Amino acid sequence: MSLATADPFRPPVPTTVAHPAPQVRLAARGLVKRFGATVALDGVDLDLADGESLAVMGPSGSGKSTLLHCLAGILAPDQGGVALRGRDVSSGSDRERSLLRRRHYGFVFQFGQLLSELPAVENVALPAMLLGTSRREATERARQWLASLGLAGMEGRRPGELSGGQAQRVAVARALITGPDVVFADEPTGALDQATGADVMRVLTEATRAAGASLVVVTHDESVAAWCSRRLVIVDGREVRGPLAGAR
Amino acid sequence: MKAVLALAPRLQRSGGSLTTALAVVAFAVTTAMGLSVLGGLLGFIDRADRVPEGLDSHGVSAHENAELYVILATIAVVLLVVPLVSLAGAAARMGVARRDARLATLRLLGVTAREVRVVTAVETAAQGLAGAVLGIAGYGLLMPVWTRISFQGRPFDAGELWVGFAGIGGALVVVPLVAAASALVSLRRVVVSPLGVARRQTPPALSWLRTLGLLAAVGAFGLVVGAAGGMPQMIAVALLVGLLGTVFATLNLVGPWIVGVVGRVMAAAARTPATLLAARRLTDDPRAAWRVVGGLGMAAFVAGCLSVLPMFETTGEDPAADVITRDIVTGGVLTLAIAFAVAAVSAGIMQASSVLDRKREYALQRLAGAPVELFDAARRREVLAPLLLVTGTSSGVALLLVVLVIGTSGVTNVSGLALVLGFLAGGVALMLAATESSRPLLRSVLRETVVRAD
Ligand SMILES: Nc1ncnc2c1ncn2[C@@H]1O[C@H](COP(=O)(O)OP(=O)(O)O)[C@@H](O)[C@H]1O
Ligand SMILES: [Mg+2]
Repeated sequence: MSLATADPFRPPVPTTVAHPAPQVRLAARGLVKRFGATVALDGVDLDLADGESLAVMGPSGSGKSTLLHCLAGILAPDQGGVALRGRDVSSGSDRERSLLRRRHYGFVFQFGQLLSELPAVENVALPAMLLGTSRREATERARQWLASLGLAGMEGRRPGELSGGQAQRVAVARALITGPDVVFADEPTGALDQATGADVMRVLTEATRAAGASLVVVTHDESVAAWCSRRLVIVDGREVRGPLAGAR
Repeated sequence: MKAVLALAPRLQRSGGSLTTALAVVAFAVTTAMGLSVLGGLLGFIDRADRVPEGLDSHGVSAHENAELYVILATIAVVLLVVPLVSLAGAAARMGVARRDARLATLRLLGVTAREVRVVTAVETAAQGLAGAVLGIAGYGLLMPVWTRISFQGRPFDAGELWVGFAGIGGALVVVPLVAAASALVSLRRVVVSPLGVARRQTPPALSWLRTLGLLAAVGAFGLVVGAAGGMPQMIAVALLVGLLGTVFATLNLVGPWIVGVVGRVMAAAARTPATLLAARRLTDDPRAAWRVVGGLGMAAFVAGCLSVLPMFETTGEDPAADVITRDIVTGGVLTLAIAFAVAAVSAGIMQASSVLDRKREYALQRLAGAPVELFDAARRREVLAPLLLVTGTSSGVALLLVVLVIGTSGVTNVSGLALVLGFLAGGVALMLAATESSRPLLRSVLRETVVRAD
């Protein structure tokens, strides 16, 4: 089974397949975002290729989350634009951008994104149901995703009954169930210890790559960034290039 | 201990100024309504004391009539005590829920259970005290409303409705005490185990055994009605009023069980995310859901009891009897209106605190693209489904009691049933309006794009 023909909604069987020549999937040009007097983003450009994983790094308050929010259509930039597969997606209405996020993106946050009343399997199924998939079908897919991420048998547990690492795996399944183009992760290991964090990063990067999604990970942690194929360092809302970029 | 008490203001702030404000408002409404109702009861007692014994020119004992008013007013108070105490309890719990996580952290840090209890009790009592002070002012402001309503042929004057300095002082003591007690009860979860809150589990379903209490109470009520003829009148009345209160209180036990059943049925049948979410919330914490709809369930019980009202038709033959008839209708409607108002305030406050409790979850769901309509629809379903069922059950039980007392003529009376239905429709509408009042709060919570780890 090749990834090109795989059902994007099912957890793919890991295979080694030659990808077609990568194309730019998500592109940002001259992003500027201000909050009052604070310039959180001061002209950032970025190209994210098909299947690529990018680590956005930088000190606290440097504008990493703001960049992620602009890329993902959560915030509209004050200047500049973002294009998904060549289509401008940064200037739509709040409703349009919300739909864009549901349809095309997946999200993994630091913690607390799972609804505490829903068992794991329903937390994962929810985004698919929001896109109109029937409950039965969405639940079945969610089950498969949980199993493929090593959570078989935990479908009925609620977020409060999962360890931090398990909850993040559920969040990864939730992000991937709709077959997104891009997965955005903001400090996905920020609430975990080193070993668990590495485990979650492995699951996140492998599952995302296998599902054919591109990945943007915001982190200030070198060992987290090491899981990604490329990195972008920003300080005070601007990209920093060159040898200093890796130093923290 | 001193160090922990020094932490109290910090905990207070972490509880959120909005929750504190909501809790104080709830205590204030409880106090204002409680004092007003008590004032009314005292007013009737006062009037009865001043009516001389003996028969008037029509051969009617004015004194006995006046004592009838006292009995009816006592019934009204019994019917209103539970919703009022529920509201105060809801307010107390709200503050605790907001601080749960941090209290659990304190426990993990080695603060003793006793110290956590003291801090919580002191803080909630302080909110209760602030609410009581505001509520006393509210009682004063409401006075001109109550003095417009005529009973026994003339409106009460403020002096008759004045609860006295003892009543005012009592409110200042009782409200903070009830607040602290409710807070301590809801704290048990945190204090029992330091991890109790952090690892939330699906609670086991409530037992159907809860229904037995209600059945027993209704049965006892029926028995007393049957045997009432052979008892001294005062004892029969006292027993019936007591049992009425018991039936009412056992509804509070059965309500959460019903809500849990509704939730499980809904969860199994759910096809949309909103229904599923609403259903899981109901099964997750049926007691909390009952606290939202329970106030109206209680009011529905009152409404069911009041279905007898239109049977008391004015005949125009006996002016004294007509006054009593009209007064019973006035009093019944007034009781119901207060019950509805208290229920609506409870519902609004519970919804607001539910939004605040889930602030982070909601905001992150929105960031991930969940439409705000999901939460609106889930909230409506979460309230409406149990609301309809619970009002149905409560008014049904009340109608049953009515049948026990005065026979089927009590419920075959069309205008009586129309009255009940009309009241219930109004109450449900008021309730939905109250829960919708959390809309702007939800929107402002969702607008936050910066969701800090905090
Ligand atoms: N909603 C907001 N309102 C005001 N200031 C904000 C907001 N979001 C971010 N900022 C500010 O913008 C800057 C960048 O923030 P952020 O992107 O969150 O940084 P990072 O994720 O790198 O820690 C910071 O100075 C922060 O205080
Ligand atoms: Mg950040």
